[in-house]
Amino acid sequence: MTIKRTLVANRGEIAVRVIRAAHALGIEAVQVVSAADRDSEAARMADQVVVIGPAPSKQSYLNAGLIVHAAKQTGCDALHPGYGFLSERAELANLCAENGITFVGPAAETIGALGDKLRSRAIAAEAGVPLVPGTDKIASITAAHKAAEKLGYPVLMKASAGGGGRGMFVARNADAITASFDAASTEAEEAFGDGTLYMETYVENARHVEVQAVGDGKGRVVHFGERDCSVQRRYQKVIEEAPCALMPAKLRGELHESAVKLLSSMKYLNAGTVEFLYDVDRQAIYFIEVNTRIQVEHPVSEQVTGFDLVQTQFRIAGGEAALPRQDQIKVGRHAIECRINAEDAARNFMPSPGRITRWSPPRGAGIRVDSHCHDGYLVPPYYDSMIAKLIVTADDRPACVERLQRALANFEVEGLTTNIPLLRYIVAQNDFAQNRFHTKWLEQSVLPAFQQDHV
Amino acid sequence: MANPTPADIENLIELFNRSDWDEMHLKTDALEIFLSNDPNARRPSAQVVVAAPSAVAPAAVGAAPAASAAAPAAAAHSAEVSIPAGMVAVRAPNLGTFYRAPKPGAPAYVEVGQAIEADTEVCLIEVMKLFTPVKAGVKGTVRQIVVNDGTMVEYEQVLVIIEPAA
Repeated sequence: MTIKRTLVANRGEIAVRVIRAAHALGIEAVQVVSAADRDSEAARMADQVVVIGPAPSKQSYLNAGLIVHAAKQTGCDALHPGYGFLSERAELANLCAENGITFVGPAAETIGALGDKLRSRAIAAEAGVPLVPGTDKIASITAAHKAAEKLGYPVLMKASAGGGGRGMFVARNADAITASFDAASTEAEEAFGDGTLYMETYVENARHVEVQAVGDGKGRVVHFGERDCSVQRRYQKVIEEAPCALMPAKLRGELHESAVKLLSSMKYLNAGTVEFLYDVDRQAIYFIEVNTRIQVEHPVSEQVTGFDLVQTQFRIAGGEAALPRQDQIKVGRHAIECRINAEDAARNFMPSPGRITRWSPPRGAGIRVDSHCHDGYLVPPYYDSMIAKLIVTADDRPACVERLQRALANFEVEGLTTNIPLLRYIVAQNDFAQNRFHTKWLEQSVLPAFQQDHV
Repeated sequence: MANPTPADIENLIELFNRSDWDEMHLKTDALEIFLSNDPNARRPSAQVVVAAPSAVAPAAVGAAPAASAAAPAAAAHSAEVSIPAGMVAVRAPNLGTFYRAPKPGAPAYVEVGQAIEADTEVCLIEVMKLFTPVKAGVKGTVRQIVVNDGTMVEYEQVLVIIEPAA
């Protein structure tokens, strides 16, 4: 390993995860902390701790200058950004490069290019990755009918000059277009001074799928299979699993190939995730975006492939080993992750920081808990409310769901309110066990019933 | 406020975070809240242990990075500077490199024994070539300069000890 000492520029469970991976490879870990995290698990585990600022993130974990200064002063030759905070800011990767510190992630230019929605769509299109099909301007009802025939119903009409739902409507047939076209155009005209409309395919039954990949920076990219993260609330993932059991093998092959094509076209370095919308009714996939960091839900991919992705990140960054061959990465078994948050789902997901008086996560075969919490730990109010990730693995999805139900039943936390009751409720749903849900399922079908039962 | 809702408590925390208060202690029939910016603080009724939060022996962190590699985490917090009774500590506003003078070769901002005003600059903290002067904050006499020139200091580390004017 060419990396000798890494700075850990994050907190919480991912800091713990990164330190473990570093130590397993014989790399020393220097942990930067805010004043609120002096006694955190990561601080206890690290070889050295540096307090960089007060509790608020802006003056600590979001201050790239302070973090790189600490890395230099403590003799670090690498920096791992974790997820969130500065992990996808080109600024941090740039500062590392300027100061001779290896950033454990993609090149700054890659982060910049993929962080820009329009540029990343252009890069995807260039690489031949499918985007949500759409049209140019549509001038009349007749033209709209023709376009919709070509795209296939349902379609989404949108105002070309703006968003926010103005001038937007879903049409399931030609009559619906006839009924709403003029009104939508007028609404767009009034809102944006431009009544031009265009059309996109409307994905009614959508799954969020994403491909975990790693690149060597020279154009070779391998993938570690896909994840299905369709249980979401307000675009926040709640439950993630691998593989996407619903997807036919042929489409899965196209999915993996698309992700690899995109990343290798930019000579992608280190770990990244390509996110897609999976249109279950049309059996099609559409590119959403690329996340240029290790993700919260990476453990499910580790569980089904047997690869340690954070160690892989360090190995690639250190220029040590070549990537594994694609045929060495085999997906077997099934894994599901739940995000355990300190929040009260019955009270509109109010964050619930405080002191944990009892911390008793489940144990046993096929159960993994990634967390920084322990008895007596004070969950500070300044940061993300995630306190643990419960990852359950079994031979197939039905067995995995059963194991998950038992694990959640045995997950006991006292002293603060968590979303564990909601998670238990979700995984007890027949639709969840039968793998019949989409990205709006939690919000539309599950939460209203849960909140009625738990007020 | 007899029966505060979670929203009330959240608002209180929000107000506290926006304020420049160090601590807030609120007690009603229904509840007792103690908020503090010091993560080592305990409820007023508990045994109060006053510790300089992140005072670090400079050598443990900044002086010889390569040599301090194996130092366990605890070492970074063990060497706390004790503040003599009646003295006031000037602490680092953030992590950075400590300098006693405005530029190399220039006279130091202050020397031990020197009388100073509250707005006298006593040292410089540098982060990524951004230099921030640190003021005494209290009128008095410089009694000790705790940190060696050019070493890294952490947030809230004790830099200078001042005896306030009577």
